[in-house]
Amino acid sequence: MGLDALGHTGVRNWFESSFPLGPSPIQAAAWPVIASGQNAALSAPTGTGKTLAAFLAILDLLLRDHELGQLGTGLRCVYISPLRSLGYDIERNLNQPLLEIASGGEITASPIRVGVRTGDTTASDRRRLRKTPPHILITTPESLALLLSQPGWNDHWQSVDHLVIDEVHALVPTKRGADLTASLERLEALTKKPPQRIGLSATCRPLATVAEFLVGPTRPCALIDCPTGPGADPLELEVESLIKADEAPHRGLTYRRMIRRIHAETQANRTTVVFANTRALTEKITLDLRAAEQKAREINDQTEPLEAQAGAEHSIAAHHSALDAARRREVEQRLKSGKLKAVVSSTSLELGIDIGSVDLSILIGLPGSVVRCLQRVGRSGHRRGAVRRGLLLASTPAEVAGAMITADAALASDIEPVKPIRNPLDVLCQQLLGMACADERDEAETLALLRRSAAFATLSQEDFQACLAFLAGELSAPAGAYESDQSGGLKRSGARIWKTRGLFNVRNRRVMRWLWSNIGTITSEESVRVRAGGVELGTVEAAYAERLQPGDRFLLDGRVLEAKSRQGGVLRVSTVQGDPGLPRWTSDRQSMSPALAHRLACFREEAGNRLTSDGPSRLRDWLCETYKLNRPAARVIETLFESQASLSEIPPAGGLLIEEAPSEHGLLLAFHAPLARSACEALGRAVTARLGRKVARNLHLTVADLGWTIRFPDLNQFDESILRELFLAERLEPDVLEGLDRGELVARRFRYVASTALMVLRNPDRGRTRVGGNGWVSQRLYPLVKAACPQHPLIKEAQREALEDVLDTPAAREFLEREPVIQFRRLTAPSPFCAAWIDPAAAAETLAFETPGNALERLHQRLHAAKAAQAHKPAVTEGP
Amino acid sequence: MLIDPGNTPANLPVSAPLEFLPLDPTQPEGWTLTPECALVHRALGTAVIADVHLGYEWARGSGGDMVPAHTLRETLEKLTQLTQRLSVRRLVVAGDLIESALPCPRTRHDVAGLAKWLADRKIELVHIHGNHEGHGPTLLPLQIELGGWSIAHGHLNLDGGRWIIGHHHPSLRVEEISAPCFLIHENWVILPAFSSNAAGLDVLGSGLPGGFRKLDFQCVVPMEGRLFDFGQLSTLRAVFRPGSNRK
Repeated sequence: MGLDALGHTGVRNWFESSFPLGPSPIQAAAWPVIASGQNAALSAPTGTGKTLAAFLAILDLLLRDHELGQLGTGLRCVYISPLRSLGYDIERNLNQPLLEIASGGEITASPIRVGVRTGDTTASDRRRLRKTPPHILITTPESLALLLSQPGWNDHWQSVDHLVIDEVHALVPTKRGADLTASLERLEALTKKPPQRIGLSATCRPLATVAEFLVGPTRPCALIDCPTGPGADPLELEVESLIKADEAPHRGLTYRRMIRRIHAETQANRTTVVFANTRALTEKITLDLRAAEQKAREINDQTEPLEAQAGAEHSIAAHHSALDAARRREVEQRLKSGKLKAVVSSTSLELGIDIGSVDLSILIGLPGSVVRCLQRVGRSGHRRGAVRRGLLLASTPAEVAGAMITADAALASDIEPVKPIRNPLDVLCQQLLGMACADERDEAETLALLRRSAAFATLSQEDFQACLAFLAGELSAPAGAYESDQSGGLKRSGARIWKTRGLFNVRNRRVMRWLWSNIGTITSEESVRVRAGGVELGTVEAAYAERLQPGDRFLLDGRVLEAKSRQGGVLRVSTVQGDPGLPRWTSDRQSMSPALAHRLACFREEAGNRLTSDGPSRLRDWLCETYKLNRPAARVIETLFESQASLSEIPPAGGLLIEEAPSEHGLLLAFHAPLARSACEALGRAVTARLGRKVARNLHLTVADLGWTIRFPDLNQFDESILRELFLAERLEPDVLEGLDRGELVARRFRYVASTALMVLRNPDRGRTRVGGNGWVSQRLYPLVKAACPQHPLIKEAQREALEDVLDTPAAREFLEREPVIQFRRLTAPSPFCAAWIDPAAAAETLAFETPGNALERLHQRLHAAKAAQAHKPAVTEGP
Repeated sequence: MLIDPGNTPANLPVSAPLEFLPLDPTQPEGWTLTPECALVHRALGTAVIADVHLGYEWARGSGGDMVPAHTLRETLEKLTQLTQRLSVRRLVVAGDLIESALPCPRTRHDVAGLAKWLADRKIELVHIHGNHEGHGPTLLPLQIELGGWSIAHGHLNLDGGRWIIGHHHPSLRVEEISAPCFLIHENWVILPAFSSNAAGLDVLGSGLPGGFRKLDFQCVVPMEGRLFDFGQLSTLRAVFRPGSNRK
């Protein structure tokens, strides 16, 4: 029995009385392994007791040490979780059993101290933790990197024996995870003996990748995998269409239906969790659900209407990362204790917070991958044996198809493999700077340390030296470049580290401050403060604030606000009453994982074939039988395919369909291919490069799963004879590179890379307001750095990101080498497939094939043409 | 190639060495726009520019960013093109010559570099005070008179009269194009920012301060050695931003 591995009687008694059903499979398998001191990667579905599996074993060891008088006062265990709120949850979940165990043995207080250190920790608590570190420290990857960069913490790590990393599956494929693996090596270098590493992961594959992430390339690790077995929680997933087969997509209409549907479910269930992909939508849905709830109460003649203040005791609450930390914890607590009927969340509730049992998870729009789908639905049916129920609500025909595919893959547990990130140089720069802040470093030792981590196992000497050179300020200009002092006496600005004789360190306290206020690699969290009058109301995402025009209304934390002006990092608003209107839908389209996109492509082909050979009603039957889709939703999909077949044609199996249609701003070419988005990014760029060379004009590219569009301003028709040569496999790679060079993708990625590597500080020194607009880094700094130093490590990293993470050139090559069939159609308007899947209205990227002057000249000609057209408008004709 | 809808002679050469826009008779006589973002009074041999923002890289550097040195180089490159086009005896910088008023030896070096370059070519520098030169007492003039016009930076309220100002960084934004431009009206010329680091103000949006929103400016874009006359803002809005209602 697994419980035998736990030696402390108090611990065993506590467990037996709290969990009469005995250990879960993962606990039984893990405890002996952990007790033996091996590194272990634990994989099991959410809610099966992984965290307790890790912690109870460690508590057991610590309590036994305490009994032997060997506990000591130093830090023994570091627990790292990517979510701040999870940390507080864990603290509660640890202190509770610790107290109970302690009182079982008639001790008044737990001898084991637990402390939490995150971005939310107050200054006084931080000082207290540094002076007297707890036995168990709960923290986040960013806070860990921060602590490792503070000389005051250098001596605390010696006594650490255990490292527990939770939600590993969410960290492995990201730069945050890469950053963490380097931090783990830094920590281990400071401990007296190598600590035991335990990784907790939701069902994830391949587990060996997770293990390598955890321990690096040089250490052994036990794999403990307890997937859903017999008797595991069954999964129910339903897809519903909010749009009817004969309707055109209409956001307002489907939104109202969505609210009614969600409201009905919240009434029918004890607790419901709703996942919306964006924060803005989360707020809007919360507001409207509360209004619906209010109306329902009034109709049912219940007690006086509750006052509609933001944050009052509503039974429906919002949860997202822009909310105040205390508010988030309050929502989690109330959800867990059953006081909330519904929680509407963006992605913040996706990960493993213990929120008690929820009856139903409703997903608005597509989760994007099977992993995310299962995580969101895993929020429901938390008790062992309960059914996990999920409802996917789709607002457009493409969403219905996508949801259907996702549900199908999720029911088959077809989880995407994780792919770790190798050698991210921007993360390396941040890590090197952090290391230099803590202590002086030897270059050779540092490189050896980094190569023990999973992310930097294959780091080259060249890249390592380039990053050090950048940090030392040596790459601001190539040798002999223009300097304002002709005598060359000026030092270059901004050098962060001081390098000499194979050693490097940070001497300047200012630089340390810059690091401490800018640490982290989460790229989406550029935020803007919101102020009404002089009062701070919270923050919104910078990208969201950028799209707001004066007079636009939006929601924040339940309040309706009207944007007035934006200066630097502050958005000024006024509080208003009334309806904020629907948030802009521009960026809620999640791209799918490559595996799901592949399934979608196969489905689209199969559905097309069946329509052609068997007819629409047989197609519908097939959808209902094979995918368990309900009839109305099946009709929606069928109608999409039928209208595509009648207005254009179904893309040929394994081949390409190219459609030309006039649009508002010139000619639109839509390319439909059975390829996931990343392959379309590569192939789309190559094709655009080939076209651009021919027409010598700027082209606008929009990419999605299963295809892309290219818009030609000022062109009226397209010469289809050149189509075949656009799809030759020969010279694919150079053309992809040219497409990248002429576009904006690398410059855009550079913006984030420059922030992570601390070339540009997101939080400038002493709160100085940033000058220059938001596009300054991509439009000005990127070309300046590229000109000054084409081999700059950060330029290289932005290019690597684009080529490895965003594009999939090998898949594009594979497709072209099959010599796919190409069909061409000339249409009078964009086809149904184009509108459904590619969304040409989304922001396009411009690939420049002409100088700005020439583009401006054409704009000028357009102005003339428009003015001439107005001047020659026919006057009202008189009768004969 | 100069494009002037009413009066273009058909045989105007595509890239004449000296190109200028002969302003409409209702505009001030004697003033010439150049593609280097300058307004030149040829009789008085004076060029007026604004918003040079020298030392931008050092200002960002003091906030912790690492930016390669570039502002002096770019400024001198542009001035070289200007002086090759027209000879001037005097350069008026209508405010914001520097990015930051805080003491900075590197910015001082850059300004000295500019002054030396001008002195070598016998060009006098007249520096007008702008908001980036700092608040509080100053030895720099707030405005000067030239050719019947007053020249100031434009950050302070200006009484009646004819004004040449900078400060607003007007920029024409249509689709992917974002181009600094001159805004011209009967009693106003708003200069484009000389510096490429300035965040531009969208002239077709609603960002112009109150008094200016009522005026229907003429928009002229300097680009790659040419000037493009885009005509009145009202027409531009009608063609490129239909449906936007100005308040």
